[in-house]
Amino acid sequence: METQKLQQYLDALSISGMEGALPKESAFERCEPGTVKEDGGVKVVKTCCRACIANCGVLAYVKNGRVIKLEGNPEDPMSKGRMCAKGLSGIQALYHPNRNKYPLQRVGERGGNKWKRISWDKALTTIAEKLMDTREKYGAETLFCSTGGGGNPEIWSIARFCNIFGTPNWFEPGCAQCYLPRVLSYTMMYGGVDPSIADSNALELYFPDETPIKCLALWGTDPSYSCPASGGNAVVELRARGVKTISVDPRFTPDAAKADVWLPIRPGTDVALLMSWIRYIMEHKLYDEEIVMKWTNLPYLVDTETHLLVRANTSAKEEEPDTFMVWDENTNSMKPMAYPWDDALKPALTGSFTVDGKEYKPAYQLLWERVLPYTLEKAGEICWLDPVKIEEAIRLFTENTPSGLALGVATDQTPNSVQAAMAAAIIDLMMGNVERPGSLLQRFRTSGVLKMPNYPVPVATKMLPKGQLEKRLGANEHKGLHIWYAGHPSSIRDAVLTGKPYQPRVWIDRSGNKLGVVAESAKWVEAIEKLDFIVHVYMYPTSFSAYADILLPAEEWLETDMIVETCNKLFARQSVTHLWETMDETLFWSKLARKCADLGHEGCKKAFDAEFMGEDLAYWDSMEEFFSHFTKVVGMDWKEFAEKAPFEYLPKDEWRTYYVYKNIDEKTGKPQGFATPSKKLELYLESMIHLSRTGQPFAAEPLPPASKDYDPLPYYLEPFESPVREDGLHEEYPLVMTNGRVPFYHHSTLRNIPALREMYPVPEIWVNPKTAEKYGISHGDWTYVESKRGKITAKACVTEGIHPGVVFMERFWNPETLDTKTHGWQEMNVNVLTKSTAPFNDVVGTYTLRGFQVRISKAEAAPEGVWTKPEDFKSWLPAGTGETSDISKEGKR
Amino acid sequence: MKQYIILADLDRCIGCRGGCQVACKTEHGIALGPSRSKLYAMGPTGIFPDLQMYFLPLMCQQCENPTCVQVCPTGACYKDEADGVIKINRDSCIGCQSCKRACPYDAIFFNQELRVSDKCNVCAERREQGEEPACVRNCSGKALMYGDLNDPDSVVSKAIREAGEENVYSLPDCGNQPMGKYILRNAKWLDVLPQEFEKELQGGKTHE
Repeated sequence: METQKLQQYLDALSISGMEGALPKESAFERCEPGTVKEDGGVKVVKTCCRACIANCGVLAYVKNGRVIKLEGNPEDPMSKGRMCAKGLSGIQALYHPNRNKYPLQRVGERGGNKWKRISWDKALTTIAEKLMDTREKYGAETLFCSTGGGGNPEIWSIARFCNIFGTPNWFEPGCAQCYLPRVLSYTMMYGGVDPSIADSNALELYFPDETPIKCLALWGTDPSYSCPASGGNAVVELRARGVKTISVDPRFTPDAAKADVWLPIRPGTDVALLMSWIRYIMEHKLYDEEIVMKWTNLPYLVDTETHLLVRANTSAKEEEPDTFMVWDENTNSMKPMAYPWDDALKPALTGSFTVDGKEYKPAYQLLWERVLPYTLEKAGEICWLDPVKIEEAIRLFTENTPSGLALGVATDQTPNSVQAAMAAAIIDLMMGNVERPGSLLQRFRTSGVLKMPNYPVPVATKMLPKGQLEKRLGANEHKGLHIWYAGHPSSIRDAVLTGKPYQPRVWIDRSGNKLGVVAESAKWVEAIEKLDFIVHVYMYPTSFSAYADILLPAEEWLETDMIVETCNKLFARQSVTHLWETMDETLFWSKLARKCADLGHEGCKKAFDAEFMGEDLAYWDSMEEFFSHFTKVVGMDWKEFAEKAPFEYLPKDEWRTYYVYKNIDEKTGKPQGFATPSKKLELYLESMIHLSRTGQPFAAEPLPPASKDYDPLPYYLEPFESPVREDGLHEEYPLVMTNGRVPFYHHSTLRNIPALREMYPVPEIWVNPKTAEKYGISHGDWTYVESKRGKITAKACVTEGIHPGVVFMERFWNPETLDTKTHGWQEMNVNVLTKSTAPFNDVVGTYTLRGFQVRISKAEAAPEGVWTKPEDFKSWLPAGTGETSDISKEGKR
Repeated sequence: MKQYIILADLDRCIGCRGGCQVACKTEHGIALGPSRSKLYAMGPTGIFPDLQMYFLPLMCQQCENPTCVQVCPTGACYKDEADGVIKINRDSCIGCQSCKRACPYDAIFFNQELRVSDKCNVCAERREQGEEPACVRNCSGKALMYGDLNDPDSVVSKAIREAGEENVYSLPDCGNQPMGKYILRNAKWLDVLPQEFEKELQGGKTHE
């Protein structure tokens, strides 16, 4: 009887195809984990989510080819059978009536958002001809490509295509603003994996019954919002077992509410607080002395004039580090310290020593001098925190060891980005929170199937023609970008606007809404108007699509394939269905390279030569062919792998390998140490100097020096727009803006999903009641938010959960106004306000997404055309897919 | 008699609204707008920066003395003796919404498409198939549990014993004797109706 009523309800919705999206009867056969079975017409496919970057294991229920239900796969050792709101909405994303279904070509004026359907062949030919023509007339570097913005199955396809085509220019709005500063710092200082929870690291946390961790500092990260099913749950489990937590976050997030100590820091001042932690740890000798003396480079002597470490000799062998000098307190003289340690020596950590008229100091001394001004009181003053609370947090962290500091994306979004990651790394490394049970910093084993787990496409650096690397825009000054082979977003945009140092002309973007995620969106629209040709590849149209010349349909995650490595298991994201003429982006770039090869591009031709390409792999004609290259490591082709996955590639206890640095290197008979040039933890990061001068170790060829050397030690940079600077700005714009995640969206994705928009229809701006009163704003009021760069609207959330001098707002755009003159990026997009200009981070060029000045005032109404009520989103509910030819299916299983 | 309930460990609830909202609504095909379960942010209370907050998932409390059942003119709304769960027979529901008005927790909504009242039945259909309720199955914090309160060996009875009586709460009793249980150790329980509390909080009233 209920079924009959449900049918009436479905009829009432009058949405064709809806029947499939909702269970008519909730009579699913129970499916035991570990089986894929087809029964009663319902097939269960084991795949993995990609609604964010967490890759949680998924059971997709399919009936008559239609995905009808999603559940977490309990075999996943991180998400353990759970899925979050983003992933659970996957069906609404897949069957969204506004998917990009076919290749489209613009008709009429750019920005007019009028299109005609064309074939894939026509689309690829049109693009390839434009690329070849542009290359011939202006040089390959005048093409730039981009990715990011969420929803990406992988990113290296873009870097690879750029190398092969011959342009050094690709960028991500993330990159220097998201994760790269942390990857760079932890890679250079430690040589292992960074502790980002949202990037599926800190794997020690997923074994709550076994790990001895006692205190976890969540610094600018909120796993309950960024990755609820994996990291969010892990933190819940640890807390339930008595692990102490500290939350450093301007917002009173769920993890802040549950923390033992909450430090609501002024946005953009994290380095000052980190330095106060380091100072306190040094002053009170709370660090792990054994690690600091024997396994960091802090005892090594630095020439105070050159800032370089003093070497007794340099080593030509990779397995042997250079020999560094220490000041031996036994003999009161400079002595070479044999690797790893010489018991006969007693190195000084502090002091200044003069030999032959030159001054030397131990790196420890230089670090101490650097952090000296940052007392608890000083940090409290800078960061708007109570020094007593700061001390309480430090005590909690240092008295409950092993502890771990998980650094989130917050610090990546200010020009002090790299220094924050360096300072955070110093804290964990000095505390000895490295490679011992309970530490976040680990080098657990990997399957070896992929060189970089979950990012399989070989970048093919060797294909970039000699001399092109130097033309990578912004990357001579910000050489840290070379770790990801990337250009600098603002430098690329400014080149488009000014023609200096040359004029970029063609843009291929495969990502979410660029105008929702780049800083100062309006400046990018100016640049867009100067370009000859723009291609956008995505699952659905975004604001950026409106400005494109060709629009191509990418696959949703339920249509894509990927090898997914999760702890000691291998999973397959496998296409559960395939709709219209959508294509996996990893295949798209291959097809584009084929077209360019056909038109005579020599690099693209070579890219199909398996012998020439070697480990970089020849381009592939199908995803099955591509993945089979990797799955053969475990003796399977992709098809067999996808059928068998998930499976353990190593037993859990063999996979979790602790104290890797103590393993004896057979070649030397000595401990293998850390994966750094000195094999020690390089808390004094001398390599920064070499990086700034040559691009080493990341650039494939020597580059001209940056305008100044990068600093081997972290330093604090007061935000350029700041309430404490005496430049008058804060009188006009008195409030500090910060951003952060909500659990409904990833980057610029999912604003078109009814199930998510009904819960979070418009972006909130969090305002303290004192501040709200001052500006005449009540809870729920429409509120204007303005910076020097623009004006937007948000809905006021009046809450004690934020400092009176700070406001918070999550990124947003409005797909419902895509076909209006705003194209959906102008109404509520906090990146209209953010700052894309210098000062940048010296090492990687980070601009300012958080920690800048705004003002607020009451708005009379919602922006025109913006949807706010749940029923407004009805027209976005799943639609039927109809019969359609499936031209890219040939490339799939 | 059995008494099936949903139990929420609020120290574990991280406010993500995946299982209790999206999975629940998808499972039951609930239209945009209403929901069988709600999530209330109980706070922040206090004055910055000395605050507390917890999240409260709220669905039907399977009351012992249910006002919704009492006011139903047709008997469509009934407490099932087999599992102690309050259910609505869609064939005899006339859509008068008396039950909705009678519920002190705002846990019943009017299903516009079916023209009947609608509420959580602890996923009766899933339980028949041997499955957990959708919210329990998908809860990221593993905060939600379900089971028979009258069975000392059930998951919920064990969780209550482990938490200790002093850490187990029910929603305010308006004479209806709510059976739902909440565990809270790490924050102070606010003995208020959550929907009233939310209104006050949003109206700018400061709770200290």
